[in-house]
Amino acid sequence: MRERITYVQKLGDSIEPSAVTVEGGTIRGPAIHAALEHRLTIALGELPFELQTLLGDTQDLHIRWVSTAAHEAVSPLLARLPPGFHLFTTLGRADVVSNTLCATLGKLFGDISCSTPAESFTSLPKDTSTHPTVFQYFQQLDSLSHLIHYAKANLCRESDTSCSARLDSLAKASSLDISYDAAQHVIRVTALWPYQRQPVHAISHPQHRTEVGILSVDKPKTLEAHEIGISGLLTVLGQDSKPSPTMFTFASRHRDAESSFSARFFSPTGLHPTLQLRISSNQTPSPSPSPDDDEDTHCSPYAYLTLPRTVFADKYQLSDPLYLASKNLTALRYITQPVDLEAPEYVMQQWGSAVLVELSPPQSFRGSSTQQWTAEIPLHLRYLTPTQGGYSTIDVPYPAVFWACEAAEGTEFPPNPFETANLGYDGLFDARTVFWHVEPHPADGGSQLLVNSVRVPVLDMDKAGWVNAGTAVAVMLGFLWAVWKLVAVYLREGYGARVESEKKTQ
Amino acid sequence: MASPSEPAGRTPSSTPSAVSSFFNRPLPLYLSAALLRVVFLLYGLWQDANSPVKYTDIDYLVFTDAARFVSRGQSPYERETYRYTPILAWLLLPTAHKTGHALSDTALFSWGKILFAAADLVAGRLLERVLTKSMDAAAARKFAAIWLLNPMVATISTRGSSEGLLGVLVMALLSAVMARRVMLAGLLLGFGVHFKIYPFIYAPAIVWWMDSEKMSNAGPETKKVPTAMPLLNKLTSFITPARLQLATISLATFLILNMIMFTLYGPAFLQHTYLHHVTRIDHRHNFSPYNTQLYLASAFPATVSSSLPRIESVAFLPQLALSCLLIPFVLAKKDLPAAMLAQTFAFVTFNKVCTSQYFLWYMVLLPLYLPRSSFLRDKKLGVIALSLWVASQGLWLQQGYQLEFLGRSTFLPGLWLASLGFFLVNCWILGIIIGDVGRRPVI
Repeated sequence: MRERITYVQKLGDSIEPSAVTVEGGTIRGPAIHAALEHRLTIALGELPFELQTLLGDTQDLHIRWVSTAAHEAVSPLLARLPPGFHLFTTLGRADVVSNTLCATLGKLFGDISCSTPAESFTSLPKDTSTHPTVFQYFQQLDSLSHLIHYAKANLCRESDTSCSARLDSLAKASSLDISYDAAQHVIRVTALWPYQRQPVHAISHPQHRTEVGILSVDKPKTLEAHEIGISGLLTVLGQDSKPSPTMFTFASRHRDAESSFSARFFSPTGLHPTLQLRISSNQTPSPSPSPDDDEDTHCSPYAYLTLPRTVFADKYQLSDPLYLASKNLTALRYITQPVDLEAPEYVMQQWGSAVLVELSPPQSFRGSSTQQWTAEIPLHLRYLTPTQGGYSTIDVPYPAVFWACEAAEGTEFPPNPFETANLGYDGLFDARTVFWHVEPHPADGGSQLLVNSVRVPVLDMDKAGWVNAGTAVAVMLGFLWAVWKLVAVYLREGYGARVESEKKTQ
Repeated sequence: MASPSEPAGRTPSSTPSAVSSFFNRPLPLYLSAALLRVVFLLYGLWQDANSPVKYTDIDYLVFTDAARFVSRGQSPYERETYRYTPILAWLLLPTAHKTGHALSDTALFSWGKILFAAADLVAGRLLERVLTKSMDAAAARKFAAIWLLNPMVATISTRGSSEGLLGVLVMALLSAVMARRVMLAGLLLGFGVHFKIYPFIYAPAIVWWMDSEKMSNAGPETKKVPTAMPLLNKLTSFITPARLQLATISLATFLILNMIMFTLYGPAFLQHTYLHHVTRIDHRHNFSPYNTQLYLASAFPATVSSSLPRIESVAFLPQLALSCLLIPFVLAKKDLPAAMLAQTFAFVTFNKVCTSQYFLWYMVLLPLYLPRSSFLRDKKLGVIALSLWVASQGLWLQQGYQLEFLGRSTFLPGLWLASLGFFLVNCWILGIIIGDVGRRPVI
């Protein structure tokens, strides 16, 4: 097992090496404003048995949990996903129909409402036929408390209070990423805490290597447009006696657009809620202050939504250019296939659907000031199970909003220590695409969460007692009235053709 | 909506000269009916091109998407929610054709609407033909105008809904039967059932109507089926060559069409065209009296089992008893067109799902019944019936609006009671129609 602890400060912030003390496997420093990332790299053999068997047949498995709490992210730890529980995996034929994966996920994370991958997962579009199918699953999961509880019971020794204290700190994490890669036989667990003031403090563990970095974004002269520069201090606990300065650059696919957005539903939502995105800037993000160098790079803003099965977008509705333009949308670029347009929520097993829409910002001219703008995404509710009281509340997570820009021809993005692939939307773009993330802010007046609630009208069970009998009585009444009229005709005229009146009098 | 209101039930002799000269010749009527549709069609093109709110019906996009799949050699069922016979997609193949010219492309894309609108006109012509059997041509045209000049009918077909095709099919069937053209009637019946299932209700009425006197065209004076005839003789005399021919040809047409479609498109054809209607839940709110119960039952499939049987599981009983057995038996021989109206009215009223386009199914038959209906004879009754029909529907729409757009939980009791109210109003009207047909002299 290896551990990497990284404090990331903003551009311009840095810490003097003298302010940090390294002593016998412990590092201490002053309180700084930073985002904190913990990464554990665990060999397959070190895992509890049940997780080993789970991962045995899988080629890769990526679980990403994102907190609903709004948080500030710091470059380069920027990659955003809608809040909730995301899973991407390739599965063997047998795993697809078995309920093992879903059952294990439930054991780990608590309320995971999938039955089997075949029923609940959806598949991502394949780039080539030789690639295995990547399955996607998403659901709302507000906290990691179940996972923390499970991990404490199964991973910590009873006497080890620091183990359970560290697990407890997950409750405040902004995201948790569990990635398994069969090729490397390791599982990487990465937790991220939001940008905030916190003391530098870490203790090494005897069994594993712990590396601590106190880093900040830097802009060296040699930095290229598609690169991010990092400088700071690195220390391997129990090995180094003092932090060593470091400085490096790497090509980054995830950048900060330095703008923000909020999302809310128009009121009243009815059965066809419209999600309005309010985006703070219409300026194309750019790595250099003067936009002249990258004039030919094409950028467009996008929204990536993971919609629970209670709500869906209609791809046919989102195909008319005039209609799209009236909502400030350019096009629907991707939607999970298939999405049932008619079924009620309670007969569906599929988790829901992922949607990628290209947004259409008002044009920005060079030198013009930034302009706030909105885009509307029309959605439709499914019928939900009747409740007592006649209403049911569903939560729709914020989308991820970003500008996608094509990097210059020939630019390559080799893997780097801070970024991960398999986010659901990255595979829908070219490998040279750079994502400039727009930061989600909670909408005014609502909860401070990156989730919008919709009150859905459903059948009120309190009043449903008479429906069957009442319907039966009405149908019987109507039926008997019609039958009575028929009988009257029959008694008067018979069933045959009516004879002319003079004939009939005979 | 389907308003049995338009022209008043005056006899031709009492109409003012301007109106009667309009109906004296066919040209003015059909020209204005065509013009009405051309105007609607052009307006629709303008609205589609200039407004995010479309004039064109969603269903038309389904049909044309399906036609596009067919034009690429694929199955029309590749288009989600295409629930029709492939023939509809074939008919619309020109809409999938592109020339590269904006104007001709628009015209090609509107081909289906033109077809549906033309079907309206043909249905109107057939209406006139059936009506002239019992009145003079000008009066017949006046009643046909209820269909031909009805803005609702023109809107539905120019928005691209295929219900107009059914109108012409049913009218062609009726007119073939009235003309004793059994072969043609069989073909149309088989085709109609293949096309939209529900015309099967007309089979028993037509068969029952087709007794040997009707087919010998001798009229009621020679009516001689004695009431004292033994049962066996009655049964054997029921089986006439015409009836056998109709049954064989319609069944063969239906089966052959289905076999062709099944060979071409496999189980997807069966699933989407027919089986879908068996398995569909119909939980979304609509005019049907069963709607709330269906929502409830689909959400709790097994749990809400009470001592009472669930009404929706036997919903087909009153519906089919009325539309396929009792109404044909009592009314078909008396007045086939009006009996068919009563059947359709009963079928739609008692159906498990009911939307306003279903009203078109009986609207096409309305002009055949109206001339001597109590609703026209007794103006007060007519106004009351129409007002009740409109008001109970308006009440439902108001509750539906609150649910759909304001998000209020109006399922219970509002929508439920409104749908029951609308249902009972329809039943009351059905009862009057039945009484009228039973009272009427033979045409």
